[in-house]
Parts: sequence; C-alpha cells; structure tokens
Amino acid sequence: MHGASWEIRSFLLATSVIVSCFLLVLLYLAQATAVSAAGYEAQRFAAERDELRRQNALLVIESARLDSPARVEAEAQRLGLVRAATIGLIPSEAVAAAR
Amino acid sequence: MTATISHRRLRVLFAFFAVASLVLSARLAYWQTVGRGELLSRATDQVHSDLAVAAQRGIIKDRSGAILATTVELRSLYAIPAQMKDRDGNDTFASVAAAIAPILGERPEVLRAAFASGAEWLFVRRRLPEDVAARIAALHIKGLGFEMEPKRLYPNGAVGAQVLGFVNDDGLGQYGVEGRYDDELAGTPGRLVVARDPANRELALGLRAAVAARNGDDLSLTIDLAVQNAAERELAAVVEREKAAGGAIVILDPKDGAVLAIASSPTYDPARVGSAKAEALRDRAISWTYEPGSTMKAITVAAALDKGVITPSTTYEDRGCATIGGRTLCNAGFRSYGQTNVTQILARSQNAGAVFVAGKLGAAELNAYVHAFGFGERTGVDLAVETGGIVRPLAEWYPVDLGTISFGQGLSVTPLQLASAYAAIANGGTLYRPYVVASRRDADGEHRTAPVAVRRVISQETSATLVTMLTATVDIGIANAAALKGFSVAGKTGTAQIPSDDGRYVDDAYISSFAGFVPAIDPRMVVVVVLERPQSKLLGTVPAMNTFKTIATDALRYARVQPDRP
Repeated sequence: MHGASWEIRSFLLATSVIVSCFLLVLLYLAQATAVSAAGYEAQRFAAERDELRRQNALLVIESARLDSPARVEAEAQRLGLVRAATIGLIPSEAVAAAR
Repeated sequence: MTATISHRRLRVLFAFFAVASLVLSARLAYWQTVGRGELLSRATDQVHSDLAVAAQRGIIKDRSGAILATTVELRSLYAIPAQMKDRDGNDTFASVAAAIAPILGERPEVLRAAFASGAEWLFVRRRLPEDVAARIAALHIKGLGFEMEPKRLYPNGAVGAQVLGFVNDDGLGQYGVEGRYDDELAGTPGRLVVARDPANRELALGLRAAVAARNGDDLSLTIDLAVQNAAERELAAVVEREKAAGGAIVILDPKDGAVLAIASSPTYDPARVGSAKAEALRDRAISWTYEPGSTMKAITVAAALDKGVITPSTTYEDRGCATIGGRTLCNAGFRSYGQTNVTQILARSQNAGAVFVAGKLGAAELNAYVHAFGFGERTGVDLAVETGGIVRPLAEWYPVDLGTISFGQGLSVTPLQLASAYAAIANGGTLYRPYVVASRRDADGEHRTAPVAVRRVISQETSATLVTMLTATVDIGIANAAALKGFSVAGKTGTAQIPSDDGRYVDDAYISSFAGFVPAIDPRMVVVVVLERPQSKLLGTVPAMNTFKTIATDALRYARVQPDRP
C-alpha cells in the first residue's frame, strides 16, 4: 500500500511537471504570436501613416501650385480681369488723427 | 526454419552504428562550437535585410513661407515580363501594352518592344504623376508593379528657376540654391537592419538595429515670390517685345543685401531640365558679365564726391569730346553741352563729363573705388556658379582706361554686382554681401542668416548727395522714363557696346540697362534691368526703364509702401 502511494505521487508529480511545462511553453508561444501579430499590425499602420503623409505632401504641393502668382495671373487674364490702374492709399497718420 | 543472425554480423552492425554515432556527434559538436559563427551568419543572412534609409531633402520656401521646392515620393512603374502570362502560359505583352499605353501617352508598340526585350525587370516609366499611377494601379495587371522614388517638385513651375537650380537624376543639386546648399538640403541617409519573414515583412521579434536618417535642412529664402513672379513676367515680356538675345533683372533690399528677386532670360523649367538649352541654365544675373556703360558714371561720381575733388555744382566746359591718353572720347551723338555741372553730367549722361570727373580723381583712386564697390570680385552671394567680372589691375591700365572706365567701358560686371553697388549708394554707403538664404531650419531649430556688411564704401554725406543727383537724373534727366507717380526714384541708364572676339566692338548692337532704387529716400528696393541686344538699339534703355517702372509699381503696391510724393 505504501509502495502504491509512492508510485501514484510520483506519477502525479511527473504529470504536473509535464503539464506545467506544456502550459508554460503554450503561454510563451501565445505571447510570441501576439507580439508578432502586433508587429505586423504596427507595420501596416506605419505603411498607412506613410501613405497618408505622402498624400498630404501631394495635396500641399497642389495647394502651392494653385496659389502660385503666375497661375493666379493667368487665371485672372482668362477671366478677363484687368489690373487696377491705381490703388488709393489713405495715410495711416490721417486715419489715426480721425479716431 | 529458424532465422538466425550471426554474431559477426551483429558486431559489424553495432560497430557501424557506433562509428556513425561518433561521426555525427563530432559533426554536431563542430557546428555547435567551431562552425557556430558561420552557421549563425548563414541563417542571419536569410532573414535579415540591411537597407539604407533615404533622407528627405529639405524644403525651400520664399520669405512668406510659400513652397518653392519640395520632395515627395512618387510611384515608378516597373514590369516583370516573365509574369505577364495568361492561363495557357502565353505572353500577354500586347494586351498589357495596349491597356497602359493610352494612360502613359505612349505608343503600344514601344511598350510591347520593351516587354519583349528579354529584360527580367525594367522600369516602364519613373516618377509618375499620382493620377496616372492610380489609373494603372486600378487595372491590377499581373507583371506590373510600383516602386516609390523621390521626386523634386517646383509648384511654381519655371518661376524662380534660376535662383533655385534643380536636382538631377542622381539626387544632386545643380546651380542656384539647390547646388550651393546641396549638402545641407540632402541630409544624411540612415540604416535599418531588421529580420524579415518570407513575405518580406519586418518581424517584431528578432534583431533590429536602426540609425535614423537625418533629413535635410529646410531653407527660407529672402526671395519674395510675388516680386520674383513680377520680375520674370516683365523680363520675358520685354525680351520678347525687343527681340533681345537675353536679359537679367536683380532686385535687392538695399538695407541688408537680401535678394528679393533674380530673373534671367532665357530660362528653363526645372521639371524639364533635360530639354533646356545650355545657355538657359546660365543665370545671367550672376554668371554672365557685360560692360556696364553709363550706369558706371554713378560710381565714378561717388568716388570723386567722396574724395572731395568735386561737388554737385563743380562745372566744366563740355565740348562734346574729351582727350585722354592720346584718345578722344565723345558724348553720345557727339553733342556738346557747354558749361555743365556734375549733376548735369549724370542727368545727361555725358561721357566727356565722366572723363572730366575721372581726371580730377586719378586712376589709382578710381581703381580703388571700383574695387571697393565690389567690382572685379565675386559678391559672395550664396548661389552656385557666380563669376566676378573683370577689372584689370591698375598696373595694366593704359592712360585712356581712366576715361573709358569712368563711363563703364573696359571692365565687365555682373548685374548682381551692379545692384549691390547701387544698394551701397542707396543705403548710406555700406556695401552688403547679397544673400538668398534668410534662414536654415534643422533638428536644432532655426538658424537665421546675419547680413554681412562688407565695408563702408562712401560716406553718409556722399551717399545723400549722390541720391539727390540720381533723383534729378530721373526727375529731369535722361532717365525720366523711370519716374513713378507718387514715388521718388533715383537711377541711371546705361548703354554699352558689346566687345567682339577680335577686340573691337560689335557694330550696331548694344546692352541696355537701368539701375535704380525706389523710394529715393529710405529706399525699399534696388532694381537693375539689363537687356542684351534689344532691337531698340541705342534707345534700348527706354524699355529697360519701362520694365523697371512696371516691376517697381507692382512690388511697391504689393509691399503696401506709402507714396513719398503727392
């Protein structure tokens, strides 16, 4: 009876060790997989960020192109606008005195 | 029948396994100890990639923050012809070429020939416009792919091309600011070492070593895009009207030498440098020299006033010509004016009068002042490919040179040098080094350029006197066409002959110019307009003055400068 109890304890101990090791390995693998998956996700986000930055840069350039004085002048000419012959200026001193 | 195994066979089998085990163990031990490094290296090479990370080239902006040049990643279309197969394994070169040719604006047979050239991998078109790339990507054609490549873009087209320069296919800055500040703009590439999976994706776990790229510095220029645009527009117009061989316009802020605009004709589009003529790449404002003609008289008079050998009211008897060094030098049209004072010499642009003033001054002093005003040496402007012009050493002067140089013949200058010298007259007598980059921004912050006062050339009093005389030249003299309503203008015209290869002057061809500043008191800008071989010939200064007038009107209006005259 004493011998059988020892055998059972040994079996349970060995089983526990094996199961624990298995669980530890499983835990490690799960974490490693999660990190890898997160890495891929981060990489996808980084690529998305880079593309959005690129698109933004292209829009900034397009905006600069549309703001270009040469383009604005050409467009004004196309619309038949003419340059003002004179621009009336009010001296700042006169404005200040009137206040 | 009972099968028996002989003991001898068992021993041989045992011995074989024993030896095999020993050999394998030894081999295993070798790879785990001595050969470990090699094995590790081979395994590492399979999964690691070592890439150079390109640095972003810096942005160039004008003084108001408008983008003049920037870099973006554009998609380049490549082809792997071996992958262009249908389900039966036949080539699809023709159908692929037919599908993308209209989008690329190319003939299908050209593309088909490229696919069939036998190349394993080839660029079909590099740095495509975004809409074109998107249309091709939407076709999802097997065997076509995109790779990002940096492209320098200039949103204002050809405006400012001569100041900016361009970036060649190797990514190197050429000419202008791009050339002069290439090291600062380019930045330093980084390095990225990572482990990758078979799909070429970076692994989160594994070796990762990175040296970040240092992006290029951003530059803010002194250039004012609105003024630059006006200068280029007016230069192109006058060159076309006058059928001139070329021309240049320089606009400076006389207070510190900041360059507001530089225009040069012929010019080029930085986006199409490949099709530009070599002459168009030369910035005539800094890389081209000419004899300045009568614009130089202001320098001669400034020197003589500063040395105290004349005053504005000093008079002489003008007989139309002056003899010096055995040579006779005459006024334009051989006109004689009789009793003339120095103010009238400038107002009428009398060559004989300039010779008279130079005679009072002497060759050594004139030579010293010409150099002091910055002629004969580079201004030091921060643009690539500047030339210094020619002022012969005093020891090489013939006696007649004192006379010819006094009215701008026998020396050569750049338009920028002349603008710089007039800026010194305008600002009270200090010669500033012209500069284009107002500030540079890097990771440490903004570094502003401090204006450099090269030297004091003339006294404040001389400057004030000369400004009055040059204002009279515009108000009542030869430069009256440059007069602006509401603003005082000081300036001087110049008509110069063109030296030919045989040492004589070219017949009936001239370089016409106007150098002036506005308002004459507390000036906001110095403008030099130079036209090469205008069809108006001797009257070429008139279109030069008209060009000055239009640009000055625009620039003053844009800068909201209050008129200083009723």
